[in-house]
Amino acid sequence: MTNPTPGASRREFLSTAASAPLVAGAAAGVLGGEARAQTTTGAAMAGGQVLVTLKVNGQTHRLSLDPRVTLVDALREHLGLTGTKVGCNHGQCGACTVHKDGVRVLSCLTLAVAAEGSEITTIEGLADGDELHPMQAAFVQHDAYQCGYCTPGQILSAVACVKEGHAGSDAEIREYMSGNLCRCGAYVNIVAAINDAKTKMGA
Amino acid sequence: MLPFAYEKPKSLDDAVKALADEGAVPIAGGTTMIDLMKLYVLQPPKLVDIGGLPGLGEIEETDDAVVFGALVRMADAAEHPLLKSDYPALSEALWLAASPQIRNMATLGGNVLQRTRCPYFRDTSYRCNRRVPGSGCDAIGGINRLHAVLGTSETCIASYPGDWAVALAAFDTEVDAVSRAGKRTIAFADLHLRPDDHPERVHALKEGEVITHVRVKKTPLGKASTYYKVRDRESYAFALASVAAALVMDGETVKDVRLGLGGVASVPWRAREAEDGLKGQELTPETARRAGETAFRDARTYDHNAFKVPLGVETVVEALMSAKTRA
Amino acid sequence: MAELPLIGEGAPRIDGRLKVTGDARYAADFSVPNPAYAQLVTSTIARGRIVSLDASEAGKVPGVLKVYTHENAPKIEGVPFFGKGGQAYQGFRPLQGVEIKHEGQIIALVVAETLEAAREAAFRVKATYEPQTPAATFGDGGTETEVAAEISKQHTDPKTGDADAALKDAAHVVEAEYETATNHHNAMELYSTTAHWTGDHLTIYEPSQWVYGLRAGVAGELGIPQDKVRVLSPFTGGAFGSKGTVTARSALTAAAARALNRPVKLLVTRAQGYTTASYRAETKHRIRLGADGDGTFVGFVHEGFELTSRPDTFLVSGTESTVRMYGFKNVRTKVSAVRADRNTPGFMRSPAEVPYMFALESAVDELAWKIGMDPIELRLKNDTKTDPITGKPFTTRQVRACFERAKELFGWDRRVAKVGAMRADGELVGYGAALACYPTQLAPAAVRLTLEGKGRARVQIAAHDIGTGTYTVLAQAAAGLLGVALDRVEVELGDTNLPAGPISGGSVATASSVSAIMKAAEAIRLRLATAATTSNDGPLAGKDKESVVLKDGRLVAEDGTGEDLTDAFKRLGVGTVEEYAEWLPDGVDEKAMRGLYNGSVKIVGGPMQDRTQFSFGAELVEVRVNPRTLSIRVPRMVGVFASGRIMNRMTAGSQVLGGMVWGVGSALHEQTEIDRRYARYVNDNIAEYLVPVNADIVHQEIEFLEEDDGEVNLAGVKGLGELGNVGTNAAVANAVYHATGFRARKIPIRIEDVLKSHLV
Ligand SMILES: Cc1cc2nc3c(=O)[nH]c(=O)nc-3n(C[C@H](O)[C@H](O)[C@H](O)COP(=O)(O)OP(=O)(O)OC[C@H]3O[C@@H](n4cnc5c(N)ncnc54)[C@H](O)[C@@H]3O)c2cc1C
Ligand code: FES
Ligand code: FES
Repeated sequence: MTNPTPGASRREFLSTAASAPLVAGAAAGVLGGEARAQTTTGAAMAGGQVLVTLKVNGQTHRLSLDPRVTLVDALREHLGLTGTKVGCNHGQCGACTVHKDGVRVLSCLTLAVAAEGSEITTIEGLADGDELHPMQAAFVQHDAYQCGYCTPGQILSAVACVKEGHAGSDAEIREYMSGNLCRCGAYVNIVAAINDAKTKMGA
Repeated sequence: MLPFAYEKPKSLDDAVKALADEGAVPIAGGTTMIDLMKLYVLQPPKLVDIGGLPGLGEIEETDDAVVFGALVRMADAAEHPLLKSDYPALSEALWLAASPQIRNMATLGGNVLQRTRCPYFRDTSYRCNRRVPGSGCDAIGGINRLHAVLGTSETCIASYPGDWAVALAAFDTEVDAVSRAGKRTIAFADLHLRPDDHPERVHALKEGEVITHVRVKKTPLGKASTYYKVRDRESYAFALASVAAALVMDGETVKDVRLGLGGVASVPWRAREAEDGLKGQELTPETARRAGETAFRDARTYDHNAFKVPLGVETVVEALMSAKTRA
Repeated sequence: MAELPLIGEGAPRIDGRLKVTGDARYAADFSVPNPAYAQLVTSTIARGRIVSLDASEAGKVPGVLKVYTHENAPKIEGVPFFGKGGQAYQGFRPLQGVEIKHEGQIIALVVAETLEAAREAAFRVKATYEPQTPAATFGDGGTETEVAAEISKQHTDPKTGDADAALKDAAHVVEAEYETATNHHNAMELYSTTAHWTGDHLTIYEPSQWVYGLRAGVAGELGIPQDKVRVLSPFTGGAFGSKGTVTARSALTAAAARALNRPVKLLVTRAQGYTTASYRAETKHRIRLGADGDGTFVGFVHEGFELTSRPDTFLVSGTESTVRMYGFKNVRTKVSAVRADRNTPGFMRSPAEVPYMFALESAVDELAWKIGMDPIELRLKNDTKTDPITGKPFTTRQVRACFERAKELFGWDRRVAKVGAMRADGELVGYGAALACYPTQLAPAAVRLTLEGKGRARVQIAAHDIGTGTYTVLAQAAAGLLGVALDRVEVELGDTNLPAGPISGGSVATASSVSAIMKAAEAIRLRLATAATTSNDGPLAGKDKESVVLKDGRLVAEDGTGEDLTDAFKRLGVGTVEEYAEWLPDGVDEKAMRGLYNGSVKIVGGPMQDRTQFSFGAELVEVRVNPRTLSIRVPRMVGVFASGRIMNRMTAGSQVLGGMVWGVGSALHEQTEIDRRYARYVNDNIAEYLVPVNADIVHQEIEFLEEDDGEVNLAGVKGLGELGNVGTNAAVANAVYHATGFRARKIPIRIEDVLKSHLV
């Protein structure tokens, strides 16, 4: 498989590195006096930039962002974490599922600025070094995918499904995994994988 | 999205202040807000992020009410033991809605204020009186399979799509709100506005007003309640028709009953006449069907949604018969 | 040559780790230096002209670099429509003039520093139109109906005997009209294009199931040599036919990137995907099917109507399949094209069979009820060993065995042969059956295969893994043929720097690629075997070189004597043997290989000169219907398939499982709603265009029958990707009839249709 090196684009590295002073300046211009303090607490004027500190997979990233940037776009286009996928951008498919403070949420309907202060876990942060998370391993073992595009979202959702205690029966798994569409139709294998992984997860 | 200013206040007081700005609107879970902003249906100049405000995230029991903080997440409320045991309709209406991820994000306050899924509302290239007053309604004469048959007007036939509000409508519910003008309490039945002449006004909140709590008056009706939802697929879909039914039985006879209808009406719908007709009657599929028929007597149908009348009637039967098993 | 098993090991995917860690790189995941972001603006009318396009507000959005409209768009040459031997999804090129031919036509391309700015600016482009009344679909004023055989060179109407006369005398006749809805592929991965120039060399990252076609199309449209373009799509997030043809966005994005002198990344919204790429058009069918007293079919008439666009004739012509399903003695068919103001439809998973087999398999069920016969019995009674149209034999055809095994797995004998007679848990129960089929087709393929003395192998081919397991099955083929362990095989796909592979369409990919690998593997074996058997010493000296095979990391003769690979390579004096092979299916001339490299597709199969080749399957489903609300569920599905050699039972299984999920969608959920006043798609998203969710799919059981079909190709591999979703829709509809007495002649079956039938 060709799998060229991932990574954020060069522009991102530049802007990230230079973000703090640039933004303070820009924001001061827009906001002026008293509002200025707010730039650091996640406030922004329309058309301005906002300083956002994102904690993703245990790493802290400081970004200067348009407040319109959603969490998924911040992850993919600004941090180069392209494991999180976009299937609709409107909360209709679950491909963009990430964990926010341990809870599964949709990163396409989350503003990056609103995720400040939360611990975000993406598919890139699930494995323990080289060792796959039991859910990841179970997905491989049960062929719980085909094209693999929904898979990161499915896996994060599945891990949460087990942790929430919603993997008690096949019927419950099906219901609580219905927020993740799989157009390839791998559903029965996804249920099998979750059943398998849940014991290994100690649930 | 169009550019917006963003502010994340630390207290309710600060939020209320921030919301006093021209055009400022609250955003809680964001699952309606961001969706509609991406579609340019909503274009707020300023978002006040109330999602993390302290003090509004609890469900509490008082002597006479169950009180929901406006920022309680749908998922948390759905799992709440009190609801599961004493008000199953309120729990079911939540877990049968949306998806687990959305329920983790969405707040109860935002949930009751979610907007219609009318495709002509959601696409700015169509005519829609709700979006642009006076522009016309492309749903009338268009694809209106998902539209309302109750409480519509010449100006708008959009349906209220949510589930939980339908269950709330079946109980005695009030909403506490606060704005710079102070606090007030709104009867739930008055919160959502029928389209009538002003379909653009969907709720009774004033600009800058924030829902702080939803209060459901305690009632023995809660125990034998259920939320029955019919949809095109088994999960992650809006209701074609749904019914919240709550009963107090005296043997086989209906002592008290409540019926909320969803997916079929412009607002969360309470079927009072149908309730009245059932009281004192023996509850059988036949009497339940008659109640259903009463509920839909004034239905007005369009090209593709006439089926909602028979479907709604049968959904009333299903819900009542299933509530009865809990009585 | 080493033998591959008839049903291959269910080896986990070799790309599995990449997929579960997020490391698999799909087109939009590639990073390019300093990208600009692009967004499309699309028309809100379906027919007419642009009067003015005001980009001034858009241009003022901070960060906007350029707004391309018909007034300043780069000149695009336009390559021919796919159906005319080109690569384009539709012949018409947007942005080259003021004419609007369908809703959602691209009318501007906005490029900006950020995604957010591009999105905002796209919204701010304002168009005014001079609209004309469009024709949206069948039955609308302004549609034009044309007879396929008269307007399309590729189409002939299969016929034999005198069907109309035979039907006059038939004891039982079903005469009915069936309809299937507009469907959109809705692969989970959205469409995107990233274009990156380095000098005069262009790299395109785009989800594709045909990278060579995309290369040819983009090069043709830009007027540059093909070898200046590289297309990369190592992982494709679902395709189902939607990513096989070239859409207008690719060359536009590339032209913008060239003009702006920086990489451009275009992200297409889900709604825009409905109109800027293809879809499955709605169809109508008139069926007449007759049998004599004992159920023997005597005549079959199948007339199909397919919707297509004004500029292009896209037809799926499914009568080519339906006429071959049973031993029909007399057949008459006719396909018509109906033109409307729509974007051009295209291939979508089992393009022909999904709609046409729905009609046939529903009619067969109707006939069974009429005769009072078990519907499976009726099918088996009319099974045939020869193609009724050509009179040639089927290479293999295990229809009976499939049904018999499926019946057993399903418990079909519990069926009560009466409508509405079965109940469980207060619900109505219905059983339904249908035949699944898919023509076995093949396409030219080239591959480079490498074997190292250390026992590592590499397969390089510009084929695609669109979820089909291509990485894994090609690795299994190479491992099996070269006698090395699976984990020692590396596979490279989806890149035009690799030898040209087949389009991932028509279920040709595995069979064709494996055939090419077999050819290359044989060449490698022969080189090693020749050296070993003609040498003066060594254990294989003097042996028959044909008897020497590669096995378990060794070169061995039939009697078991042999040597390690390292020794065999030493004898050759090299560390690595590399073979490039080109494989052509039967009856395809050599020019096709040049064509393959130049992006022209040659697919052969189904009915051939001397034989007819198909895969078959039997699908049985149970439905449950709420007796009050009449909502329908499918709690159980069984599928048994015979499809030649199965390379990997697990990935193959996933494909047919997924296919059956599609079948449920086709039967119960999927319908693109069209507002006929405007000829616009109304539910152009994935919340209101419903596809099955996890909760819809309860129990699925599938099995493959062993099938040794040496005639279809050297590898004995038939296609699988499209077999599973054929017939499922009819099986569901047939089960709904059994449960409720409601005959769904139109899919998807909606609650209102069933309700209506129960009310009157
Ligand atoms: C794909 C999809 C499927 C869905 N399916 C269902 C379904 O089946 N059933 C169902 O019921 N719902 C469904 N929903 C809707 C979902 O439940 C709502 O979007 C959600 O409940 C809204 O809550 P929120 O906190 O995210 O609101 P937000 O998006 O934050 O806000 C919604 C609205 O309420 C206002 N608001 C929020 N909080 C307050 C407050 N405290 N005081 C005053 N105003 C406030 C906002 O200004 C905004 O106008 C679905 C949504 C999606 C995207
Ligand atoms: S991309 Fe977020 S739910 Fe589809
Ligand atoms: S694996 Fe392709 S969408 Fe789920």
